[in-house]
Amino acid sequence: MDVLTNVVQYVLNLGASVFVPIIMLIIGICARMKFKDAISAAIIFGVAFAGMNLVVGFMLDSISPAAQAFAKNTGIALTAVDGGWTTGASITWAWPLAFLIFPITIGVNIVMLALKWTKTLNVDMWNVWGKAFTAIMVSYISGNVYLGFVVVVIQIIIELKIGDIWGKEIEELTGIPGVTVPHHMTIIASLLYPINQLMDKIPLFNKKMDADALKEKLGVFAENHVMGAIVGFLLGLVAGYGVSKSLILAVQAATALTLFPMVSKLFMQALSPISEAISEFMRKHFNNREILIGLDWPILAGRNELWVTAILLIPVELLFAVILPGNKVLPFGGIINLSIVVAVVLLARGNLLRMVVYGIITTPVFLYLATFFAPYMTRLAQETHAVKVPAGSMLTWSTMENGEFKFAFSEAMAGKWWGMLLAVVWIALFVYFYFGRKKENAKRYHEEAQTEGFES
Amino acid sequence: MKRVIVACGSGVATSQTVASKVKRILSEKKISAEVEAVDIKSLDHLIKNCDVYVAITKPKKAYGIPTLNGIAFLTGMGMDAEVEKLIAALK
Repeated sequence: MDVLTNVVQYVLNLGASVFVPIIMLIIGICARMKFKDAISAAIIFGVAFAGMNLVVGFMLDSISPAAQAFAKNTGIALTAVDGGWTTGASITWAWPLAFLIFPITIGVNIVMLALKWTKTLNVDMWNVWGKAFTAIMVSYISGNVYLGFVVVVIQIIIELKIGDIWGKEIEELTGIPGVTVPHHMTIIASLLYPINQLMDKIPLFNKKMDADALKEKLGVFAENHVMGAIVGFLLGLVAGYGVSKSLILAVQAATALTLFPMVSKLFMQALSPISEAISEFMRKHFNNREILIGLDWPILAGRNELWVTAILLIPVELLFAVILPGNKVLPFGGIINLSIVVAVVLLARGNLLRMVVYGIITTPVFLYLATFFAPYMTRLAQETHAVKVPAGSMLTWSTMENGEFKFAFSEAMAGKWWGMLLAVVWIALFVYFYFGRKKENAKRYHEEAQTEGFES
Repeated sequence: MKRVIVACGSGVATSQTVASKVKRILSEKKISAEVEAVDIKSLDHLIKNCDVYVAITKPKKAYGIPTLNGIAFLTGMGMDAEVEKLIAALK
């Protein structure tokens, strides 16, 4: 434990933009990449960190003063600035042990496939960061880094199990057979499943609605720069900035939201040789049997219900942020709530009204969880020197994926009795969802329910 | 130079994975082209000067340029056919 902590501390002191490229270079050479390719990927990783540091710094510099002015005017202190998932990913890759999640992810998947406990072969290596993020949060809250890895293993198993379920929904929604989305963010669906069963019985929630026409009208608001400008302008007004200063803030906010994905994709660019090699390896070894290939969520991005719901939720998030007592989160970078819309487009099989209802009722949960995790995300940013956070401000992610799971399991690992209780309830709900939905799908798609065991 | 555009839900991970792969394939075949990963929400503006569209989702509109199936690049299934189409479109 001490040795590990010391190593971690030494590496952390180098700063993420230096040590992560070094790790990348070593991995690249071990994976027998050409030296020039390995060095190129390694430096791009460093560029991604430095770039993200610039953009997050720019965001904090423009948004934080407005948030402080708003607090002075109204007494509502929203001190945790929402950097969205791109910021979350960036500071997570800066964690020195993040790369260990690759072999763990692959190892658990291979074991699960070999024992026939899953049909899902997850080749999505980008979302390794989401597992590393869980490990960090659990290790911070429980004070034990090994427990972080234990929870990651649980998370990987759950992801694969939910991947087994979603194959059907994804074929229905996208027309693509043989693929699934074993993404952490979809797991909140299991907690909403009892509500979904109730909605099945109410005629209002079973009507078809046309999301395509709505998307045509609302789509412009989902573009990063447009949304950023609107949120920035509104924030300026409530901060008492006056029109001219609010317009400046609008453009700054639009700039931050436009640059986030541009810089963030550099991480993927750097990781792509590794992720490609891993997916190839996995496919080669398991291609001779019936499997579902696990991909990242954007294969669902063509469903307009997703975008319409996300846009309709923006004012809801802003409103809740202001009226919820105890909320510290100022929704910004993560305001497009992918974490809920991707989960519920699958759960509700594309039923728009249900999706919007789920989005509204879960918004307070997302905000409170983001408030809870803000100090830990800020600590990560500071410890890794990935991003500078000014004193008095915190960094968070307003729409954190599957925060309920992270919350329950980190408090359980910290030894709190109510945390353990929450974790047990969480697992019970997941098991209820898993078997209930499986039966439902078997009926819907006229297949015989299989009798394979669950994590037995 | 010809331009290839790849779009996904945020223009970060999936589209960049496919874009990097396409870039690598093209450089192996010694074909020079620009390959860009973008956010699908802004696709309508960004696709205007492009020659090939690699779609992760089923396109709802026709853009009047060759459109490839991006999923093939992710799963490896049917990828060779898509690569052939890509090369034909860039020649």
